[in-house]
Amino acid sequence: MTGWRLFFLAAIVLAAAPFGLPIFAMTLLTEALILGLLAMSLDLMVGYTRLISFGHAAAYGLGAYASGYLLLHTALPLPVAVLAAALLAGVVAIGVAWVCTMATGVSFSMLTLAFAQLLYAVAFKWTSVTGASDGLAGIPRHPGPFGITVFQTKNGYYYLVLVCLLGAYVFCRALVSSPFGAVLRGIRENEAKTLSLGYNTRLYKIAVVALSFALGGLAGALYSPFAGFANTELLFWLFSGQVLIMVIVGGQGTLIGPILGAAFFMLLEHVLSAYTESWALFFGLIFIGFVMFAPQGIWGLLTSRRPKNARI
Amino acid sequence: MDLLPFLLTQCLNALSQAALLFFLGVGLTLIFGIMRIVNFAHGTFYMLGAFLGYSAVRLTGSFWAGLVIGPLIGGAIGAAFEMGLLRRLYRRDESAFLMVTFGLTLVLGEIIRLLWGVNALQVELPNMFAGIVFLFDEPFPTYRLFLAGAGVVVAIAIWQFLERTRLGLLIRATSQNAEMVHALGVDVNLVRTAIFGIGCGLAALGGVLAAPLVTASLGMAGNAIIDAFVIVIIGGMGSFLGSLLAAVLVAFVQVFGNYYFPDFALAAMYMLMLLVLVIRPGGLLGKEA
Amino acid sequence: MALLELDGLTKRYGGLVAVNQVSMRVETGEVRAVIGPNGAGKTSLFHLITGVVRATEGEVRFDGRKLTGLSSYQICQAGLSRTFQLTSLFPEMTARENARLSAQARLALRWQPYGGAAVFAEAARRGDEALERLGLTDVANRPAGLLSHGDQRLLEVAMALAQRPRILLLDEPTQGLSVEETLSAVETLSGLLADGQLTVLLVEHDMEVVFRLAQKITVLHRGTVIADDVPEVVKADADVQAAYLGGYE
Repeated sequence: MTGWRLFFLAAIVLAAAPFGLPIFAMTLLTEALILGLLAMSLDLMVGYTRLISFGHAAAYGLGAYASGYLLLHTALPLPVAVLAAALLAGVVAIGVAWVCTMATGVSFSMLTLAFAQLLYAVAFKWTSVTGASDGLAGIPRHPGPFGITVFQTKNGYYYLVLVCLLGAYVFCRALVSSPFGAVLRGIRENEAKTLSLGYNTRLYKIAVVALSFALGGLAGALYSPFAGFANTELLFWLFSGQVLIMVIVGGQGTLIGPILGAAFFMLLEHVLSAYTESWALFFGLIFIGFVMFAPQGIWGLLTSRRPKNARI
Repeated sequence: MDLLPFLLTQCLNALSQAALLFFLGVGLTLIFGIMRIVNFAHGTFYMLGAFLGYSAVRLTGSFWAGLVIGPLIGGAIGAAFEMGLLRRLYRRDESAFLMVTFGLTLVLGEIIRLLWGVNALQVELPNMFAGIVFLFDEPFPTYRLFLAGAGVVVAIAIWQFLERTRLGLLIRATSQNAEMVHALGVDVNLVRTAIFGIGCGLAALGGVLAAPLVTASLGMAGNAIIDAFVIVIIGGMGSFLGSLLAAVLVAFVQVFGNYYFPDFALAAMYMLMLLVLVIRPGGLLGKEA
Repeated sequence: MALLELDGLTKRYGGLVAVNQVSMRVETGEVRAVIGPNGAGKTSLFHLITGVVRATEGEVRFDGRKLTGLSSYQICQAGLSRTFQLTSLFPEMTARENARLSAQARLALRWQPYGGAAVFAEAARRGDEALERLGLTDVANRPAGLLSHGDQRLLEVAMALAQRPRILLLDEPTQGLSVEETLSAVETLSGLLADGQLTVLLVEHDMEVVFRLAQKITVLHRGTVIADDVPEVVKADADVQAAYLGGYE
């Protein structure tokens, strides 16, 4: 039960944040929560199923472009456009996962990377939808038929993001604690055995990739109306790697860890970029350090659990 | 323009492209075949080679110096990285390697940016390769002809190295049974360091050779790593011949795809990969799925 | 009609014939052993039955239904649960979680992402029951990776049993065990089989184990069946003596 007590405490603190923090900090926090949602969605694949995806920027980019396009070309109210974009990412992911799960292990990772690169190339070429290298700019936040304008304010939007993150967390927690989640853990530890026990493991993997992409797409769909734009940067392969860093550094297989990892990442970028242009260098070093010496990540260190992927 | 000369020059063009892809893929597949690890930083070593080639030409005035210095420095960095970090990870699962080498990608990429700046750098060709030759009355860049030749030479050299030399024998033996080789009193760690260095050196060699065509730029690493992975997946992880075959296939698809369907050339490569995966999930000459 | 029928089952790898025209019938309630020296094709036969590898020729029928061509998870769902020659478990889960996950595969609600408490409860009940039958209740809460090798072998049997299979396929259940561990494992297994409720197909090369557990024995030699009878007859068979008992390892 302490887990849920911690959850409610965190929810209350985050809900109170707009009353205590200056505007620029709220902008950072909103972005950190969006990235946290993205990293948490990747954790379903990486931490719970050991499907190492190097293409999670695809989920984010899909969601960002889809919600941006819907808001620019239709009058759909903001929350509807965001949810539709997330749904689209999940549906596309079914096809992607069908292909990628033909391979296992490292080949799977490479296929996810290849798919994200393909999407990146499409975003550059499909000018009428994606705006090519200019991207989509001036994305509005429509009030919709009921005239809901609250999301047009900074704090209003923050609460929308917060509700999405908390909702997604509860969803993911329930998912990984369910019989479905038990099968995912089985795949993580011994896929061949899981198959021989009568589970259609490929179907489970496709399902978890679709869910992971839908939530990652939700994060992207929240980002583009927040930033006002969507561009090919969101689909770049280095960004996929950064999301993976957030998951590993935060602590894979914990859901909370990746959210902390995203916040840590944002904070570090913010602090380091004030001193040096080469913050990516330090990121690389910190990341290598975590993989080598603390594979359980920040959350793992805090709760001092047994390292999850250390084989002694 | 006649069809036959056109086809011939396009084929040569594809072969020169295949040579570049082969340099990129063969190092990755050798490392995987022997060490069971995937080097995410492979594309970054390729990029490093291009920048080293640029500097070598600037400092010495000789393109040939770049062809020596690039692979040597790239290989040395790779070997040092294996000794310093990767060696500590052999008891961990494969994803740890993927992630540590991704970390290396970030670090090395940033160091390259600090040393050479953000602008794309043009590498001058040596005079003997700067011009064009006429093949069946079709103009063809001399340098591309040289590349195709270099690809053939390096492929034969690697093959002979694996077949004929003691290190080559050890490398093949280690890939089949590391413990047995260890029991025979061979320092397996040294073999691994050597092969990681050689793999990275080959990537750097590819980078030096590619630089005059595409300029040395920070965007190289991303494209290179994808191409390299596609080659390795199509050819079959760990298969030397597979990477050769895949490089040729992909190059032909790219060159002819670019000519006939310029908008879909990129997708063509992925479609080829998908087709191979559906028919043979382990790659054309791969042993395992 | 026999529960499990193999009909001319053959597997070739290039020129090598691993399994050659094997036909066999296992009746409901029977404990059948397949024996043979190393390399006789026993494990290949298991892989063919459970769909891990595809047969070159021949057919496997289970309760009249053709299994050949199905994938291994479908074959398991048809009611055939197996163990592996090399222990295959979920090392970071407890023994109880291992058994529970195994039992869960046979529950109708296994795909439902929510409302899983009832599924878990039923799966845990079946899993615990299987653990108890194999005497593993005391170690149920330990991670499977930390159990003794003997307990790990038995846990794999418990996992198969938790699925309430119609036929249990055991691939060398005493593989890699010490003499004492083997004795105690055989003791446990014969207790399990005593009531005659289970149908078992057992692959084994340890003759002591086989004669202790099996009611009928099929002898494989270089992929071919050379004898198929009750233990006493097989023991006396000259071909078997020549192929196996005489030149035993």
